[in-house]
Amino acid sequence: MRIQILTMVMSGLCYVAQAQMPIAPQPQQQPQSAPSQQTNQQQSPHAPQAQPAGATEPTNPQIFGVEIPLLDPATDTVTYNGGKFDVGNNAAVRAKFETFLHGTPDTTEEARMYVKKIEGILQETKKYTKSRKAIGSEALVRMGKALYQLSDMPRDGGQSGVLASSIVSALDAQRTNRSRDIESERLNEEIDAMVKRTNALVNRNTVGNRGPAAQIGAIKGPAHNGASGVSNTFTIAHNTKAIAEKQAAKVKNSTMNVESEMAAKVSYQSNMVTFLLMRRFDHAVIATRIYRHVFRDGDTKMKIEENSKANEILSGVAGVPPTVNTVDALASEARSSVDKHMDAVYSMLAQNKLGEATQHLIEAVAIGEHMHSVFTFPVEGRRRVAAYWTLRKRALTALNARDYGTVDEVARKMKEMDVDFDDSMLLSYSAGKKRQSDLCIRNARKALLEGKDDEFNRYITEAGTIWPLNPNLDASAQQLEKFDSNEKELGEFRTLYARGEYRTIFKEQDRFECVAVDPQLKPQYKEVILLISTIDAMLKQLESVADQDRVMGPCIAYEKLIEYRDSEPRCAEDPAFKDALNLYAQKAHDFVQALQDAEENESRREYGSALANYYRALCLYPKSTLAGQGAAKVREIIVKAQY
Amino acid sequence: MARKRSRKGKGGNIFGIVVTLAVVVLLVGIGYLLMSPSKTNTLGKPQHFSIRDYRNDGSRLAVPGNHYVLEGRIESIETIGNDRMIAISMKNNRNERLPLLVTKDTHLSVNLTRNDYFIFDVECRTGRDASGNEIKGILVVKNAESVK
Repeated sequence: MRIQILTMVMSGLCYVAQAQMPIAPQPQQQPQSAPSQQTNQQQSPHAPQAQPAGATEPTNPQIFGVEIPLLDPATDTVTYNGGKFDVGNNAAVRAKFETFLHGTPDTTEEARMYVKKIEGILQETKKYTKSRKAIGSEALVRMGKALYQLSDMPRDGGQSGVLASSIVSALDAQRTNRSRDIESERLNEEIDAMVKRTNALVNRNTVGNRGPAAQIGAIKGPAHNGASGVSNTFTIAHNTKAIAEKQAAKVKNSTMNVESEMAAKVSYQSNMVTFLLMRRFDHAVIATRIYRHVFRDGDTKMKIEENSKANEILSGVAGVPPTVNTVDALASEARSSVDKHMDAVYSMLAQNKLGEATQHLIEAVAIGEHMHSVFTFPVEGRRRVAAYWTLRKRALTALNARDYGTVDEVARKMKEMDVDFDDSMLLSYSAGKKRQSDLCIRNARKALLEGKDDEFNRYITEAGTIWPLNPNLDASAQQLEKFDSNEKELGEFRTLYARGEYRTIFKEQDRFECVAVDPQLKPQYKEVILLISTIDAMLKQLESVADQDRVMGPCIAYEKLIEYRDSEPRCAEDPAFKDALNLYAQKAHDFVQALQDAEENESRREYGSALANYYRALCLYPKSTLAGQGAAKVREIIVKAQY
Repeated sequence: MARKRSRKGKGGNIFGIVVTLAVVVLLVGIGYLLMSPSKTNTLGKPQHFSIRDYRNDGSRLAVPGNHYVLEGRIESIETIGNDRMIAISMKNNRNERLPLLVTKDTHLSVNLTRNDYFIFDVECRTGRDASGNEIKGILVVKNAESVK
């Protein structure tokens, strides 16, 4: 419950600071026009939302549907779908934390003296808190003097002076009230005396007239009572008036006392709350402990307006009317909490767990920057935490800027600095976005090749929106420029194609890729790429065959090349093909010679010799198709002739 | 006197004619011998037959009346119609195959079987196809003997 109260106080602080500036941008609706491919993209769950305001990119990564980021100011985290990502997005706290990190610890003699005196006052008030003994005026005066001395120190910021003034003001009010009380007592005594005298005069008149009728007659008839009777009557009237006036003065004093008391309490309590809100917990504790000794009527209820923010803060948790003790409890809890956080900071730093240390330190600074344990935090620890904090800020900035390359780099560095740092969220989110952007670029390229300008523009814009610094975007831009000025390539391609220099086109296929935009040249481009690719694949395969069998391998390779040349005459112009053909013709010289001799013999109608040559080729390579077919043809001719 | 001289002159002319004819016959005989290729006139005396030469120019062997004796193993037999084409490997050259034609008109005393050795009496001929074009240098089997 105390923690909840503290959370409320911190919320109040944020309210007072009027400086809440959430880093996490507002979620936006995912555009319905996103390509279907993107919906299939795997995205990182629990990814922090980090989109700049005004960007068309949806700021809230939607993995399983519409998700609303939940900001928890107490833990300084943003929650997505059950996962948390620490963004430290309270601007006021963040600014103070950075100021603290870049400052130097106040370890001067003056600061130590200040702490010592404050601790002394606290110990003294604590002593009186435990005992029923009231703080005497001398003790209060001593404390006031000590506080006035503290107010001159830079560390104090004049707060002790304010507290001392509050105490003095309250005491002055008390003294004034006591003066009024004394005056009221005196008036009371005077009233009593005057009442007695008046009563005596009345009785004298009554005795002189011998009865009530004469008394009445004396009052009414001056002829019977004479001058003496007239004099008593006026005296009585005068006394009665004086008594009434003194009564009125007494009532006035009483009323002024109440008003003065109330004003003093309100002023004092206002300072108490101010100390609490300003996280001057030491002063708040001192003020609350002195309160019952300054105002001894036992009324500790806070005199604050019901609709005020302070009342909301102090009574909002439990719903009960706030008292001075509530402030005391909150301030004491805050002091304890800060000390615990600082202990945790030292412990985490010793274990090199910078993430945890940073988290504890930011909470300690946010709660109690004026606490001794905080402002004396050593500079070495501040530097280590500052380095980690800077990286975390860079991660957030990079996420906001959708610079996922930097996000990866920062996550890696943070992991190096803190082995316990969970970089999975950053990395998976970054990887998902990168893949999404790359997919859009791929689709854009495909659209460009297909001549679909609208689709290209849409995909390339989307890719840039998702990951503005995607390096592939530059490549795409260059490609686009190339496509815009491709007239030269088109002409060159036509020339090379007409000359049959397919190998040249193939070697520079990236440069000539732009011709695929031209509907007439696209089939030719594809045809060339396919032809040379097939030749290269075939040559590679034949090379392997020839290496495996050095006797028949070259025969096989040669025959395959000849067969392919017969089916695809254009390959005969390819330099690589020609080189391979020559190479294998050389390696399978006898086989090739036999085939060539056979063909030459056939041309001279020397069919007997031709058949003998085919038989020789078959001896060298029994599975030769060329030799087999040639022999069969020649045999047919020989048999059909007449001899 | 004139008649005697005439008789003497007539006798001398006859002698000259006879000598001339003898010389002519001798020259023709020598020429015939010189012009004829390597050959054998008997089955039992095979002459050199070069497969390499045959592969280069078979028709060169197709002079009239030629025939060669070849010994080799039948590597394959292919029957086309009524004719057979056999391929033999020579005894001294197993890496070559020599095509031989066995026509339907050839009556052999042995049965040609694959992987068996035979001595073939062959003649190099030039045939003609249905269009009258030459089919040069075909070795036609005239006879064959089995090699035991």
